[in-house]
Amino acid sequence: MKIVRIISWITLVIPLHALSQQVPKPQVNAVVSGKVLDEKTQHTISGATIQIKGVTNSTTSNESGSFSLYTGQKLPFVIVVSCVGYQSKEQQVADTLISVSLSESVQQLSDVVVVGYGTGQRKNLIGAHATVKADEINHLPVASFDAQLQGKAAGVQINSNSGMPGDAVNIRIRGTTSINAGNDPLYIVDGVFINDNSLSTLDLGGKTTSPLADINPTDIENIEVLKDATATAIYGSRGANGVVIITTKRGSYNAKARVSLNVLAGSAWAPKDRWWKLTTGPEHATLVNEQWINSGIDNPALNQNFANRPFRSKAEGGRGLPEEQQTYDRLDDVFRTAQLRNYDLSVSGGTKTTRYYIGGSYSKQEADIRPAAFDRASFKVNLDQKISDRVTVGVSSLISRTFRNQVREGTGPQGGIMQAALHTPTYLPKVNADGTPGRWAGFDNLQVLIDNYNVGTRSLRYIGNFYLDAEILKDLVFHTSWGMDYNNYKESQIWNDKTLIGLAPTNGLVTSSITENATWINEQTLTYKKTFNSKHNFGALLGNTVQSNVLTVNGETGSNFPNNSYTQISAAATRTATQSWTKFNLASFFSRLNYNYDNKYFIEVSARADGSSKFGKNNHWGYFPAAGVAWRLKEESFLQSSKVISDLKLRASYGITGNQNGIGNFAAQGLWTAGDSYPDNTGGADKPGTGPQQLSNTNLKWEKTAQANVGVDVGLFNSRLNITVDVYSKHTTDLLLAVQVPSRTGFDSYTTNAGEISNKGYEVGINSVNIDNGHFTWTTNFTISGNKNLIQKLATPIVYGDRDLIRLEQGHPMYSFWMYKQLYVDPKTGNSVFEDYNHDGQITAADRQILGNASPKFFGGITNTLTYKGFDLSVLFTYQYGNKVVSFDRILGEGGGVKDDSRMILAYNLKRWQQPGDITDVPRVTKVGNNYSIEQNSRFMEDGSFVRIKSLSIGYKFGGRLLNKLGIEPLRIYVLGSNLWLHTKYQGPDPESSHGIDPQGIDVGTPPAPRSLQVGLNATF
Amino acid sequence: MKSYIQLFTAIYLVLALTACQKFLDVSPKDDVSDEQTITDKASAETAIRGMYRSLADNGYYGSSFQSNSYLQGDNLDWTDSRTVSLQFLQHNVRPDNDEVQTVWTAIYETVNRANYAIAKIPGVQDPLFPQSERDQLLGEAYFVRALAYFDLGRTWGGVQLVLEPTESIAASKDLTRSSQADTYAQVLKDLEAAEPLLPLTTNRVRATRKTVWALRARLHLYRGEWAAANEYADKLTTDITNYPLQSPYNSFFANNAVGTPESVLETSYSANNTNAHRSQWQPPANGGTRRWAPNAAFLALVNDPAIGGNRSAMVAQTAQGQWYGNMYYRSPATDPAYVIRIAELFLISAEAQAQLNNLDSARINLNAVRNRAGLAPTTATTQQNILLAIENERRLEFAFEPHRWYDLVRTGRAAAVTGVTDVNKYVLPIPIQELSVDKSLVQNPGYN
Repeated sequence: MKIVRIISWITLVIPLHALSQQVPKPQVNAVVSGKVLDEKTQHTISGATIQIKGVTNSTTSNESGSFSLYTGQKLPFVIVVSCVGYQSKEQQVADTLISVSLSESVQQLSDVVVVGYGTGQRKNLIGAHATVKADEINHLPVASFDAQLQGKAAGVQINSNSGMPGDAVNIRIRGTTSINAGNDPLYIVDGVFINDNSLSTLDLGGKTTSPLADINPTDIENIEVLKDATATAIYGSRGANGVVIITTKRGSYNAKARVSLNVLAGSAWAPKDRWWKLTTGPEHATLVNEQWINSGIDNPALNQNFANRPFRSKAEGGRGLPEEQQTYDRLDDVFRTAQLRNYDLSVSGGTKTTRYYIGGSYSKQEADIRPAAFDRASFKVNLDQKISDRVTVGVSSLISRTFRNQVREGTGPQGGIMQAALHTPTYLPKVNADGTPGRWAGFDNLQVLIDNYNVGTRSLRYIGNFYLDAEILKDLVFHTSWGMDYNNYKESQIWNDKTLIGLAPTNGLVTSSITENATWINEQTLTYKKTFNSKHNFGALLGNTVQSNVLTVNGETGSNFPNNSYTQISAAATRTATQSWTKFNLASFFSRLNYNYDNKYFIEVSARADGSSKFGKNNHWGYFPAAGVAWRLKEESFLQSSKVISDLKLRASYGITGNQNGIGNFAAQGLWTAGDSYPDNTGGADKPGTGPQQLSNTNLKWEKTAQANVGVDVGLFNSRLNITVDVYSKHTTDLLLAVQVPSRTGFDSYTTNAGEISNKGYEVGINSVNIDNGHFTWTTNFTISGNKNLIQKLATPIVYGDRDLIRLEQGHPMYSFWMYKQLYVDPKTGNSVFEDYNHDGQITAADRQILGNASPKFFGGITNTLTYKGFDLSVLFTYQYGNKVVSFDRILGEGGGVKDDSRMILAYNLKRWQQPGDITDVPRVTKVGNNYSIEQNSRFMEDGSFVRIKSLSIGYKFGGRLLNKLGIEPLRIYVLGSNLWLHTKYQGPDPESSHGIDPQGIDVGTPPAPRSLQVGLNATF
Repeated sequence: MKSYIQLFTAIYLVLALTACQKFLDVSPKDDVSDEQTITDKASAETAIRGMYRSLADNGYYGSSFQSNSYLQGDNLDWTDSRTVSLQFLQHNVRPDNDEVQTVWTAIYETVNRANYAIAKIPGVQDPLFPQSERDQLLGEAYFVRALAYFDLGRTWGGVQLVLEPTESIAASKDLTRSSQADTYAQVLKDLEAAEPLLPLTTNRVRATRKTVWALRARLHLYRGEWAAANEYADKLTTDITNYPLQSPYNSFFANNAVGTPESVLETSYSANNTNAHRSQWQPPANGGTRRWAPNAAFLALVNDPAIGGNRSAMVAQTAQGQWYGNMYYRSPATDPAYVIRIAELFLISAEAQAQLNNLDSARINLNAVRNRAGLAPTTATTQQNILLAIENERRLEFAFEPHRWYDLVRTGRAAAVTGVTDVNKYVLPIPIQELSVDKSLVQNPGYN
């Protein structure tokens, strides 16, 4: 605590002390004015920063590329000119009128990159970063920016989970570190730590919505992914899963207003050739009859034989012969060609002391299944105002409203639209003979659902902050910021009396809830940068932050409505309500020191102390140190003159980060719950009741991840080819774990620190300019990453997922599938032969084994971009190799007729064994024995590897004098396609489909990521 | 100016840092600390209600405990996609069956709540807490613990007898399984403790002395103590003011009835605390999922006026011809779950009398139940025939309640009636997850 006190003293006292000092007036010795030009096109460049080397004085070029610099320095001096997208240039100034030409950066060595609580230059980085320019990806028709990152950043694995726009995707930076404490990275938007946990309270069949979809991707300038410990440890307890820093667009000083309009429209659909293949009505009936008779043979007591088979003629009292059955196609009813619309309009610019960015956007994306849709309107204002040469204040704010028309995908029988469409046996009619809707197998009628589905969610989101930067001493900058992430999330679910859930005697069921998530965050930093003797470059950062988060849910449910015209719960005869409240506080202090000698040898150390209210009294505080070194060999004399090697840097880092996300805010406390009400007398009403809820653990503490990283950055052939390679090893200890305890205690689990997980992997990123001859350019960006995950220590295995399909066990990776291994189908008997793992002569639960897992061995993407004069073409392939998917649709749908009329049968089941000699992996259909009663059959685990064209765009830019006269810069029209091609062995529609975020790799009733085509227009005035 | 700022900052910091520890202490609002649980009359009352809510939980009497049992009988068919249900019908339940785990957990949760009450109520210092109410609440806790161990014992055989509340994981010690006989002995001990504490009143949703008698009758029947079974059953069958057998059969569940004279004990539900049974029985046409349904053999019996009588009201048929069980049908799903019905006491008495060779008395009690169902008196005359008639009567009378399979097992008739000859299958496997976290627990034979 002493250190904490000292740090807070410094962070608070020094700035105030400094502010109270008089600021001397600058003296002007020279005025330099000039123009900044693009070396190749000779067009002027606006928004470039012109800075005198060694001092802080700087200015920005205006819309015509001109600038004027007033300085107390005497000529000659050196200026540094930098601009996003261009290589920085140092130029000696001896004259008061100059011209500076910048060449487009391919290598981005001098690019400004965002680091924790600050910025740096790419060439000076020690940590492992991946930078993604938002404009490369932000038109992909997925609602949230995280989903757009697939294949673009090395080490970041993204699984789309579902084709539903606005649904949460699965994102893992350098593997899975935690079982219960959450595996999502920390997201920071303009300095505000934002919530990325879904506020959804509805049962959406395992799916959840993504709060990141509230953010309009086109407002984003840049996405920085921090991966290793030097990069993330400054975020301490929140850094273990990586940090994603989002910087939104801002205006430029001295720039004319620039209006940018982007319109994009098109459609999306699920490719029919990838839909599930179902049996026809006659095929279904044949299989049911066959299993009926086979079961009768296997167990005569069942009294099942040919004479009483279910599908015998109606005259005999049956359901009609198999060949008399109809086939009803429901998939065609639920899938559709969806409409996509996106409009963005922004204005940015600035005066000498003010800069602004105002953006407005509207986006509507229908899902490829009826009637789901996502709709977002957002508004963004970023404003910066220089109060004096030394003090700048600003605000960043984002307000959005998203509306979702939601459907239950995945599991959950009654309102499940995919279940109704896919899992209803095909021989059963959509409409009964009496005209009433046909409801089968526990599912609702598909058409009734489509017509009456009314599950709407509205999210209002504000993310913003206010900041003040003050240069209180030369080279010492004080920064304070007050930010807020507020989300008001309203859900209403109306099941009228036509739907199965709302049918009489329920007479309509409406649930409505408002979830509010509010985080406030305040931070102070002091940043010091100084160069001594022009070789010793020194930097220091000191800061503190406090934040608080409150999550409340108010919900009500009503049933028994007068009729369908009434949908407000006040009209219901039966009403119930719920309310919940939870909160956590976090207080932190942090510091970072870095030093480099002559831009050759770099060293950086950082530390953070985090105090969290989530932990036991004994362990509120956690400490997270990190250190990194780098050696830029290119600066050594033996490489300086090399023509081949244009850059070479070695990096190494080690540090500790923490995690506290996934556990409950009160996980350390012993609690009794109320709400277990019960009456005292016969016929009496409920009276309040209480009972034990959870056991306390006052020693509960931080989950810690130690990470070592070594990397190398190589630039070759004048930076035409850049390669970054990183190798890392992460070791997570003190896992926050809901440990299973014997149920005889009255509890089934309690939260404690137990277990260890390791992740080891590599990442390679390659940027290459293959051809650049002035007219024609071809660039390639390639990423490949591999991660090996292992549970190092876990006292008792944990099973979860439907049918306990997933098992976490020491010595195996996370998300391993736990199944009975079917060796083959005996060609003589047609029975499944399972491996008798424990050799006891029988197949029991002890024979279940871990047979694969949902994590890929390697994954990545490759982008090729070609431009020729006004044309541009860009193709992104993404790929994943070695992950397994368990098709739950097959588990349910290859029931061999045993499930009779309660489930559809997939066409693959027709390959069942029928007579001696048949070679197949689909066993003889019978209800008796293990053939169809063991659902965790390894044959349902498939290879989920894939390669797909994630996006393809073709554009043409046309200008001309007329447009120019009108003040319109060249227009770009383009065609954008997504998911145009997919190669996989997986039988289901999409190998990325997953029932939920966690566990991964179980696919059930999920609409695939749609194929889409859009046409867009981009204009700037 | 400068010094003011410094002074101000110093004060701010001192305040901030002392506030820091407070800032990190956040207490929940939804729940309260377990440091103060049962401390006075009101908290004793709420804890007892919480114990009943646990008894009524969907993992216990609400649904799963009952369904795991009646699915093992011979009355139902599997109409679901989950083979976990099929395993019960086929008497091939695997230790990784999650329904088995659900029930195990739910019953022990109830035990823990009872243990809390038994441990804490005697020591409560509250002058406004009269001895009579103290006794009553304590007696109820003993009764519920007895019922919970009875259900554990008849489902799994002997179990670990936990008699103290769990206040911390560290304090929980290894415990070996008791035999089934010892488990039943503990049940008797708890019932004997409960009996004098409880008032001789009639309450159909909570335990009274009469409820204790009813469970004693059943326990003695399971233990083959015929005279005692008869004695305790008769204490209720003769109380015709409070426990008349009302006709027709469906009068205890039809027309949204609750707490009818049929119920010796039923668990109570409300719009806030619903019973999952309805959605599992009702067909989609009525907003349910129909996970299981009466099978052809049972339908033939129950719809035969000479066998089922007016008990045919427990099944119904959709417009498309699907049969379903119709005992649970309400919305909101407030259908009571029936723990002990008076009809059972008549049939316990009948069986005990038949075993004691008091055949006339046996027939009278059996006929009382038959008469209520709208049936002619039994034609059985020999001891063996009467016992068979009682067995068959119980099959129909309690078709959708947890009796049939336990009856066949306790009378040694399971093999003859259902063809299940492997005696290891007469009890369920211990859930595999329990075995992996509790080294002191051993699996039932035949399930390894």
